[in-house]
Amino acid sequence: MTFESSPPQQVPAPPLSSQEFKATAEAILTNVEWVIEGKSPTIRLALAVMIAEGHLLLEDVPGVGKTQLAKALARSVDCSVRRIQFTPDLLPSDVTGVSIFDPEKRDFVFKPGAIFGNLILGDEINRASPKTQAALLECMEERQVTVDGNTYRLRSPFMVIATQNPVEMEGTYPLPEAQRDRFTARLAIGYPDLNAELAMLDHRGEFNPLEALKPVCDGEMIVRMIATARAVHLAPELKRYAVELIGATRTNAQVRLGASPRATLQLLRCAKVLAAMDGRDFALPDDVQQLAVPVLAHRIIPTTETTMGGNDSASIVADILRHVPVVSQPGRY
Amino acid sequence: MSGQRHATLVAAASLALTMTPMFGLFEGISWTFPILLTITVVAVTGSLVRAGGRGQGLQTLSMIAALLVLLTAAFGNGTAIVFVIPTPATFQEFAYLISVGVADVVTQAPPVAAEGGILFLTMAGVGIVAILHDMFVVGLRTPALSGLTLLTMYLVPVSVAPDATSWFWFILPAAAYLWVLGDDNLRRVSRFGHRFTGQGQLVGPRFPSPMASAARISAVVFITVTLMILAVIPANTSGLLDQVSNGVGGDGGDANGLGSLNPWAQLSGSLQRPDPVEVARLTTDDPSPRYLRMHIADQLSSDGFEPSDYADLEPLDSLDPAGGETFTAQVTNLGLSDEVVPVYGRPSSIEIDGDWGVEPNTDVIAADGTSLADVDSYSFTYSDPSPEAANLAREGTMDPSDPAWERNTDHPDVPELTDRVDTLMGEAGATTVHDKVLAVKDHLSSANGFTYSLDTIDAGNDEAILDFLDTKQGYCQQYAAAMAWMLREADVPARVAIGLSQGTKIDGEWSFSTSDFHAWVEVYYEDSGWVTYDPTPSGGVAGSVAFPWASEPTDTDEQPNPDETDEPTDEASSAAPDDQDPSANADPTDGVTQDAAPDSESGGFGFNPAWLALLLLAVPPFIPMLWRGAIRRSRLSPGRLSATTAWDEARDLARDYGAPLADSLTPRQASVKLAAAAPGAAPAAEALGSAMEAHRYSPRGADPAGLGDAVADLRTELDRGAEPTRRWRARLWPASLATWLVAWRESAADRLSGAQSRMGRTRRSNEHPNGTVTGRP
Repeated sequence: MTFESSPPQQVPAPPLSSQEFKATAEAILTNVEWVIEGKSPTIRLALAVMIAEGHLLLEDVPGVGKTQLAKALARSVDCSVRRIQFTPDLLPSDVTGVSIFDPEKRDFVFKPGAIFGNLILGDEINRASPKTQAALLECMEERQVTVDGNTYRLRSPFMVIATQNPVEMEGTYPLPEAQRDRFTARLAIGYPDLNAELAMLDHRGEFNPLEALKPVCDGEMIVRMIATARAVHLAPELKRYAVELIGATRTNAQVRLGASPRATLQLLRCAKVLAAMDGRDFALPDDVQQLAVPVLAHRIIPTTETTMGGNDSASIVADILRHVPVVSQPGRY
Repeated sequence: MSGQRHATLVAAASLALTMTPMFGLFEGISWTFPILLTITVVAVTGSLVRAGGRGQGLQTLSMIAALLVLLTAAFGNGTAIVFVIPTPATFQEFAYLISVGVADVVTQAPPVAAEGGILFLTMAGVGIVAILHDMFVVGLRTPALSGLTLLTMYLVPVSVAPDATSWFWFILPAAAYLWVLGDDNLRRVSRFGHRFTGQGQLVGPRFPSPMASAARISAVVFITVTLMILAVIPANTSGLLDQVSNGVGGDGGDANGLGSLNPWAQLSGSLQRPDPVEVARLTTDDPSPRYLRMHIADQLSSDGFEPSDYADLEPLDSLDPAGGETFTAQVTNLGLSDEVVPVYGRPSSIEIDGDWGVEPNTDVIAADGTSLADVDSYSFTYSDPSPEAANLAREGTMDPSDPAWERNTDHPDVPELTDRVDTLMGEAGATTVHDKVLAVKDHLSSANGFTYSLDTIDAGNDEAILDFLDTKQGYCQQYAAAMAWMLREADVPARVAIGLSQGTKIDGEWSFSTSDFHAWVEVYYEDSGWVTYDPTPSGGVAGSVAFPWASEPTDTDEQPNPDETDEPTDEASSAAPDDQDPSANADPTDGVTQDAAPDSESGGFGFNPAWLALLLLAVPPFIPMLWRGAIRRSRLSPGRLSATTAWDEARDLARDYGAPLADSLTPRQASVKLAAAAPGAAPAAEALGSAMEAHRYSPRGADPAGLGDAVADLRTELDRGAEPTRRWRARLWPASLATWLVAWRESAADRLSGAQSRMGRTRRSNEHPNGTVTGRP
């Protein structure tokens, strides 16, 4: 495969109209939904994270379609997909790549690792050793890899979809909160409902729909979508609302560690994408509210009392949503 | 003290407080002992049985038994076993006592002696009330119901002896009720453990709760409104009214006012009629007739002014023309049955059926064995000269050697009144008759705090006139009597005239109703003779007339001052007697008002302050509705209409109709909720929501066109879909106003606490010069 080292590539892509954006997003969603039935909200959020240049943590029990979702998304977009199966003996260089000596050129040649793709599927990330996890997470944030003093720019679009199995506890290295913070959103796919599962049986009886999946757009288009989404208008009132939401997670009595400023950034970035996917050029508090649980829940740490009381972080965030006023108008309401 | 014992004590004490209105019912205070004993016995019994852990049924039975034992011991009269155990004979005794008591209640007027049947009835009644009260407050823990028992206790004396029960006695029962409620609430809250203030500080169990201020405000409002109602509702007060008319005829109870009664009783009865009836109609060529004179009360005793018995009548032929312009009046009698004939000014001749004569001292046309009841109509000619104020000021008084002097200056010896009149005359520097008249009239004016009221207040003075001068509240009878009496004290011959005021002009005819009965004053001047004055505040008299001479003589013609008048009708009333500005009436040529109330409405109602007060009370319930409507119109006015105002209105509507929208809802979610609350207005709700959304979050803003209609649609649909109760509550007492008030109060409280904390910091820094604060703040 080909890659370029720095300087970084900046594609001055012309932005899309909101209708084009919406149509493209709908096309991708329809495509992916063909593979994963009855999960359109989750798929929508996953696509939003992708266009928001974020990374996704899929945390769910085995067999609900985490890998299927990642693969379907990648195929629909027609970009390169790399899969890393994390195991305890995986080394950082397996992820980033390694320089090996080429006897013919009498020089070290960089052999890129699995990270050099558009869509990286990191399966069971919590099985890898902290050292390897750290290598991946550094790439996620920096969008570049430094090996032997050389910095290599990663591709765009670039998205890591890491899966994590919450059931198995033995032999795993759970992600520390600092690293969880780098994932824009954590999604749980959940079991399909009755009809979706029946439909799945019908479809999968004959062929694997994933194989038949045709790409509906390319990486170039995604880059344009990213640019378009960035231009979505954020009203001051909405920014204030987002900041107050994040602030509420920090002051909430049930929370030991609140959400970071990075969470605020990513929340609003995803909200812009959702707005654009809805055909709007301005974001709404509704977008923020849809994203609050996926974006915030994995970043906050409830107090031990709260956890023992049966409340998880998602329910705390939902509670905060119910109490933070959307508009701050002193003296009225 | 255990909870139940404390509650029992509170219940008993509150009941004892409610007993206070009975002070007007019984003689002395010895009756309080058996009543308090009854309450104590019931309370102690209840408390003991409760302490024994028995149920409510047994408690009630025990209290009834204890009451029975108490009554047996007190009234058994030897029929009981060991004094306390009732036998059938005891119950026969009780039945006898009840019959005696009932008979006493019917026949006796309060205050009565607390003994025998009445005491038995009172003790038994209080005992039963005490049992119920204890049951409500302590046993069933429903202290709100104890309002019924307390009300019963209060209503008994109030209904039996309204005269003897002043509104003041309502305060103690009301306070007792609030005490019961507050104490129970405190117990309820304390049961949960420690109480905290709104600031999270631990407070003691007896410390006022954070909501105490709200409760205090509502309590004050409640009591104020109640007292206003009690003060406004016309009550049969005692006082000048009764005392003055006492001993005159004696049969003043007939409120009809049409019979052949003593004139005072007729006057007060007529004025207090709830539904005035027309008594006479009159046509005259006089453009501005004054008062129709009937009686002259010139006999002053300690019972007040009384008319003479009109014994020595002279024939009607003896009427002589007094000169000046002569007018003719025809009167149609519709309901008068007096033994005197109402006439204007100085009649020169009179055409009337029956035997009538002229009383020479008073010029009253009185009956000689006949009555107006037999007369359908009569006519008379008269003159009504208007003396010039300047002339009156120069005139002297009656010659003391005149035989009429004694009759018109005689007055009982009331040293305090003499002192007051001397002081008044001294202050006014009054020397001439006219000076004295004006001084007295000014003293009784509304500028001096006198008000018109058909309810007189007994201020507790020996003489009714002193009561009136102290309370400064009365009607024409008091004013006329007081002015004439005070003038007599000042050695000015004066007498009271009773008759009809100007009446109401309907289609050229003057109509007189029972509410036009009036009393005024005649003062004797050396040359002008008897001159009429009306000291009653004109606002209280339906057809009052201004007498131009009743003012300071002035050299220049002053312009009428219309701003000074408080008369509601035409410009003629600007010439009405206005005691605050005597110079306003200085024009002597047009001294008499036209009809003060030209429409056919009876004037008697319009001027009753009680109606005005009732109207004021009736308005407040509609204030929220009006206020809410004003807010809505302001928001939807084309100049102010924006997505925000329309959205605020939609939110308030939702709150009014019981579907409040939480602050955490986005406009989109809120409009979905609105649409669910008013399915018919779903498009309107969506339009409002998206307009607000665009206004707030879109870079382009929103177009407010059509939002007014959307709000109107929403309102119609919400109103249609609401339950009737909810609908009326939303219209009359919209909940959004309460929210607004709460928000306003909170912001005010924030400002206040901010100011307090700033003050607190200043003070603390004063105490600690180094600025450190140690320990808990």
